[in-house]
Amino acid sequence: MSDDGGDESGKSAPSKRELERRGEGRRITERKSENVRAAIRDELAEDEPASEQRAADKEAAGESAAVIELDHLFLAFDAPILEDVSFVARQGETICIVGESGTGKSTILKLILRLLIPEKGKVCIGGKDITSLTFEEALEVRQGMGMVFQGAALFDSMSVFENIAYPLREHTDLDDDAIEERVREKLKFVDLDPDRVMEQLPSELSGGMRKRVGIARGMADNPEIMLYDEPTSGLDPLTTGTITRLIMKLQRELNVTSIVVSHDIRSVFRMATRVAVLNERRIVFFGTPEEMAASDDIYLRDFLGGY
Amino acid sequence: MSRPIRSSAPPPTARLPTLADRLAQATKAKLRTVQDYFSLAGRAIGFIFARPFYGNDVIQQMDEIGVKSLGIVLLTGFFTGMVLALQSSVQLATFGATMYIGRLVSASMIRELGPVLAGLMVAGRVGSGIAAQLGSMRVTEQIDALNTLGTDPIKKLVTPRVLAALIMMPILTIINDFVGILGGNLISSLMVGIPSGLYWRTVWEQIAADGFTLHFIPNDFVQGITKPFVFGGIISISACFFGLNTTGGTEGVGQSTTRSVVLSSILILIVDYFLTQILLSIFAP
Repeated sequence: MSDDGGDESGKSAPSKRELERRGEGRRITERKSENVRAAIRDELAEDEPASEQRAADKEAAGESAAVIELDHLFLAFDAPILEDVSFVARQGETICIVGESGTGKSTILKLILRLLIPEKGKVCIGGKDITSLTFEEALEVRQGMGMVFQGAALFDSMSVFENIAYPLREHTDLDDDAIEERVREKLKFVDLDPDRVMEQLPSELSGGMRKRVGIARGMADNPEIMLYDEPTSGLDPLTTGTITRLIMKLQRELNVTSIVVSHDIRSVFRMATRVAVLNERRIVFFGTPEEMAASDDIYLRDFLGGY
Repeated sequence: MSRPIRSSAPPPTARLPTLADRLAQATKAKLRTVQDYFSLAGRAIGFIFARPFYGNDVIQQMDEIGVKSLGIVLLTGFFTGMVLALQSSVQLATFGATMYIGRLVSASMIRELGPVLAGLMVAGRVGSGIAAQLGSMRVTEQIDALNTLGTDPIKKLVTPRVLAALIMMPILTIINDFVGILGGNLISSLMVGIPSGLYWRTVWEQIAADGFTLHFIPNDFVQGITKPFVFGGIISISACFFGLNTTGGTEGVGQSTTRSVVLSSILILIVDYFLTQILLSIFAP
């Protein structure tokens, strides 16, 4: 728990009643915690390839270069949003950022994309500090990243084909045939039938399909970094599983570095190589899912108790 | 109990500066908005001359802003011309000067009513549409998506709309002027009994009376085209400005739409006055 300097805000210093309430919660959690840990163990065991992959990744990650580096980031608008946020994502890693709503999880993605500029601290992409870039230089850096938005954010005046072809038309010299081939390839990758969906408008698709088209658009230009904002929110359990598998497939087959902001602990445990837990503007935990499940930290146990 | 949240009460003198501070802050915020508005205008216009060009978007917007506004502009112009002829016939009859209806209608349409009415109609139809579209794109993160796909949203969305409005507004205004004068012709020949030949001759006399620029462009036309050009800029930039700065979900989209129409309508009327003064001083006979 980060509890320092709590006098001014009042929020970060839990009142006695709050502590008591948490205490009660903890007792319930403790009763449940064994079940929770068992469930997490099952989840990890059930996904054997993912765990293996994770182990392999961990070994590789130790050697591979840092792709995304957040160095003591501070951000505030009217009120502080993020304080002293640091972590490193290495090649091929999937880092999941979890935390309660409104803790600034999506803000981290915007900082990585340089849609926002931190007040203090550095954001390095491939070893290069992007905080001091001009707007045009930032546009170039963003071309190496694919972003999947919470609501997919497909351009609703364009067909599925045009949506996925957009980044290719903007930034590559591919001719029309090559673009169509690439769009088909990406649609197949996300398990959509190109002939059926290519000419459809985003408004004609279901939520899960929109997310998949969003992923296809994000990966169209073969980025090295994929960012996902709540990729599974608002989806039914089956579709959630499909999207989670898709993110894992992308990481495994193309070795992209991914940052996933999520509420969904179950998918997080399946796909994360490491998990960052954000609480009250700070990262309170950064480690593997196994370490998270084994942690005795009260907040983490409360958090997992919800699972 | 836990420690108190606020340890000390604010000093008694703290209240007055707070009010002044707030005023200063509000003024600063307003000034910043004005600055943002002009910076958007500057960038949007600057991008007209910078690669990549989004030609298809410009053509699509010219269709949206120009061709699809033709109906309301035709109706507005025609009925304005008719009512102008009707009203002026009553007034001119008292001096026995009804043969000058053509002069009056053409002068009013070309110099003032044509540009202003076309501007107001387009502000209502197109300005609201642009603000709503960009506003929805903002709240559904499509603007962020453009940014993350490495495209400058101003270049992709604002510049084509501004360029299309700058091109189409003068054209719409010329059409508006023409059907207005035609409407005047209809009423003056049907209800006042002025032959069409005489009507059109007086129209031409009026246009020629104010002299020519470069020996062949009537000065009235220069005035009549400068205004819609400026109005086109006002309408498109206001709409894009409010659209891109939409916050607060679907309700915010509604607010942006309203603000865009209100601001461009007011600006059209205010700028019209000052433009007229400038143009009159340039083209003074």
